[in-house]
Amino acid sequence: MPVDASPGDFESALKPLWLRAQSGDDAAYRQALSLLATRLRGYLKRRLYGLPDEVEDLVQETLLALHLQRGTYDPTLPVSAWAVAIARHKLVDLWRRRGRRDSLHDALDDVDEQLLAAESEEAGTRRDLETLFDELPPAQRQAIVLTKLDGLSVAEAAVRTGASESAIKVQVHRGLKRLAALVRKDS
Amino acid sequence: MKTDTLIEMLAREAGPAPRALAARRLSPAAIAGLLVSAVVAIAWFGAIPVQMFGTVVPWMKMGYAGALALAAGWLTTRLSRPAAPIRQAEHATVLVVLAMALVGAASLWSVSAGDRMDALLGQSWLTCPWSVLTLSLPALAATLWAVRGLAPTRPRAAGFAAGLLAGSLGAFGYALSCPEASPAFVAVWYTLGIAFTGGVGAALGPRVLRW
Repeated sequence: MPVDASPGDFESALKPLWLRAQSGDDAAYRQALSLLATRLRGYLKRRLYGLPDEVEDLVQETLLALHLQRGTYDPTLPVSAWAVAIARHKLVDLWRRRGRRDSLHDALDDVDEQLLAAESEEAGTRRDLETLFDELPPAQRQAIVLTKLDGLSVAEAAVRTGASESAIKVQVHRGLKRLAALVRKDS
Repeated sequence: MKTDTLIEMLAREAGPAPRALAARRLSPAAIAGLLVSAVVAIAWFGAIPVQMFGTVVPWMKMGYAGALALAAGWLTTRLSRPAAPIRQAEHATVLVVLAMALVGAASLWSVSAGDRMDALLGQSWLTCPWSVLTLSLPALAATLWAVRGLAPTRPRAAGFAAGLLAGSLGAFGYALSCPEASPAFVAVWYTLGIAFTGGVGAALGPRVLRW
């Protein structure tokens, strides 16, 4: 799947993957997020020219937000429009936190998939998400480490911790939400 | 952590996306807000006499408040989803208000000129909007909390819509203890109270709807 194809091709490559991901296909989800990351990097890089160090951090923050908010995706919309709206929201939030309201020259209301140019090269991050894991409550951290880093299934993690499967899922979700909040506070 | 590692982490054991997330968060908040406003209205102002439920009066008020709650709830869910078009939901909201305004205007037409002022102001025009606003505050807290857990990218507009929803729920509760009978009264003073609540929501939105 060429990442430098035209925007229409990008959406038509992304959407079927995304719809499969929404119904529970983890492999399709991974592919869809990788495609999105590449495009978001290009989008954010051109808007953060004064702050190149922030680009990758904001890519990660946006990916985390996309994941936490995947339930708000409306299948009648282009996935890229939805993703750009979230990326723009995170960008505005970053400017606001830095007290630079006026630095965003872009017309904010206009969602254009053409804004999503590809940028596959990943720069370093200023902050390391993994160090923020230490600030999570133990149950949340454990659920995330077991299922997301150690590669256990939810069922295995439930056996390991003695918690129910739905409890593990809830802890993972809460932990990622908490992580997103820590990321905002941190930057 | 590398971005690729993050993606790997997010996708692993991710499972299906939650369905109808906006409705699932907003409906319990709205129902709780409605119950609180009804209970507080009856406990605080007292219920209208039971015979009144044999007339069209309370049903007209509840019909208006209920229809506006549905339209504003729809608008709120649209504004809680990034990039979702809101035009249809906006039109629905405006239509409900216009319909009530038309009914109110028509009712003024049917009374004699000397009684029009009474029909418009009733006994409680001065307190009605504030009562609606007060009864809406618990619902406003609930709807803002629900929207906060979603993804509003236009926090002021989303706060306004959540306020209109909460205001409609407060008006629904107030209908159980409001003795006024004129549709014109409802069209003006109920709407004003609901708009106040929308205003409070819009003022709070940028601050509380951050994510």
